[in-house]
Amino acid sequence: MKHKIYQPGYRLIQLCLAGLLALSITTATAQDSSAAVDQVVAPKKVKPAKNTFQSIWIIDNQTVMVPIKGTLELDFQHRMGNVNNGSEDLWGLYGASANIRLGVNYAPVNRLNLGIGITKNKMLLDLNAKYAIITQTPGKYPVSATYYGNAAVDTRKEASLYDGAEMKHNSDRYSFYNELIIARKFNDHLSLQAAASWSHQNAVTGFYTSYDTSSKSYGDVYQSMEHEHFAVSLSGRYKFSNICSIIFSYSQPITSHSEYNPNPCLSLGLEVNTSSHTFQVFVTNFDKLNAQQNNLYNHNNPFKEYTTVNGDVVKGYQYLIGFNITRLWNY
Amino acid sequence: MKKNLIIPFLMLIVFFGATLMTAFTPFQGAKPWTVPDAAKSKKSSVASNAASIAAGKELWTTHCKSCHGAKGLGDGSKAAQLKTEPGDFSKSDVQGMSDGEIFYKISEGRDDMPSFKKKLPDEEDRWNLVVFMRTLKK
Repeated sequence: MKHKIYQPGYRLIQLCLAGLLALSITTATAQDSSAAVDQVVAPKKVKPAKNTFQSIWIIDNQTVMVPIKGTLELDFQHRMGNVNNGSEDLWGLYGASANIRLGVNYAPVNRLNLGIGITKNKMLLDLNAKYAIITQTPGKYPVSATYYGNAAVDTRKEASLYDGAEMKHNSDRYSFYNELIIARKFNDHLSLQAAASWSHQNAVTGFYTSYDTSSKSYGDVYQSMEHEHFAVSLSGRYKFSNICSIIFSYSQPITSHSEYNPNPCLSLGLEVNTSSHTFQVFVTNFDKLNAQQNNLYNHNNPFKEYTTVNGDVVKGYQYLIGFNITRLWNY
Repeated sequence: MKKNLIIPFLMLIVFFGATLMTAFTPFQGAKPWTVPDAAKSKKSSVASNAASIAAGKELWTTHCKSCHGAKGLGDGSKAAQLKTEPGDFSKSDVQGMSDGEIFYKISEGRDDMPSFKKKLPDEEDRWNLVVFMRTLKK
């Protein structure tokens, strides 16, 4: 299996990796969210950092946060249509391409969160799991690290691949996602995280490049996309009041495909946190509401217009408005 | 009525019925809330200082303000929807309670007041809330 590096974003990959390195080596200012650390009645026990992020989501990406044992969460996620149509569809708010995901998650034990969700796009059913490997603790771990993975299936009756080709086997419907997330809470205001992900699609389209009639043997296989796709992301939160934060996220593809190369994603939004809800409203490029679908098939270009090697012109600055709402119950 | 309209119609009746019942339910007056003696005498593990007050204020803003109000006067945005009067925490009937008594009520909850021992499993967080609540005294 060979992988090519996505050249236009290589500089950004370097920046993301530098961010990851910085998160890993910085140890000077580890801090608990409680902040009540200087004068206490009894000697203080060192505790893991709390609320590195307020939600399991940061726009389209997962955060390192895993809810405490016994937490049931409902997710309501909505992505409007593209804003580029202007007032014609009220900047996408009434866009026909709007996408919705409903999900439910439960934390049966500490550190583990299990979930299921269904998305309008492709009627995609996903099962997901998240496990907190380590949690940032002063003097022990400078960062938190969490694994997130999901398996998704396209449940449409007449499912098709990314280029419109008919799916020939049920196994073509499946895709998988694995991600390692590393985050650091620098202080009560600023948290940053870097993540490396691996998406797998079971089916890609392609053809044999040659056929020898005498030996009846096929030549090399041309694949329009790779089965495996690697990407990195950098996300952050700046909390400017007790309940409000500015959130951002940037995702950069690493794998370069022969065709159908996905675009990076740039997102910026506002988060409001209450006792049982977290609300996030933002502009983003991702519209698929599933990690591997976003990373593999994002055709919204956040930057200026460009032309692919195949001569296709990709329009620039294609953003959409979206929101995430989570509702928590503790049992 | 068509068969496929029956379920949505019943849902509408239940929704509006529940809304009307809530709207016309009067406040219940303060009823006695017995706190065990052991809980009353429980001592705080958090000292009152700028950091613990700030931490308590952050938790108050997230978890308590919507019912009890920013200054604990019982005038939060949800207060009017409650069956139980949220009380005025600036007054002596609340400020006269021991730290342990307030801690117990935050932890256990009752009626409209939710229990916070699962939502805030770290006792230090709940003690920070007690510390902040002491600043509401007038």
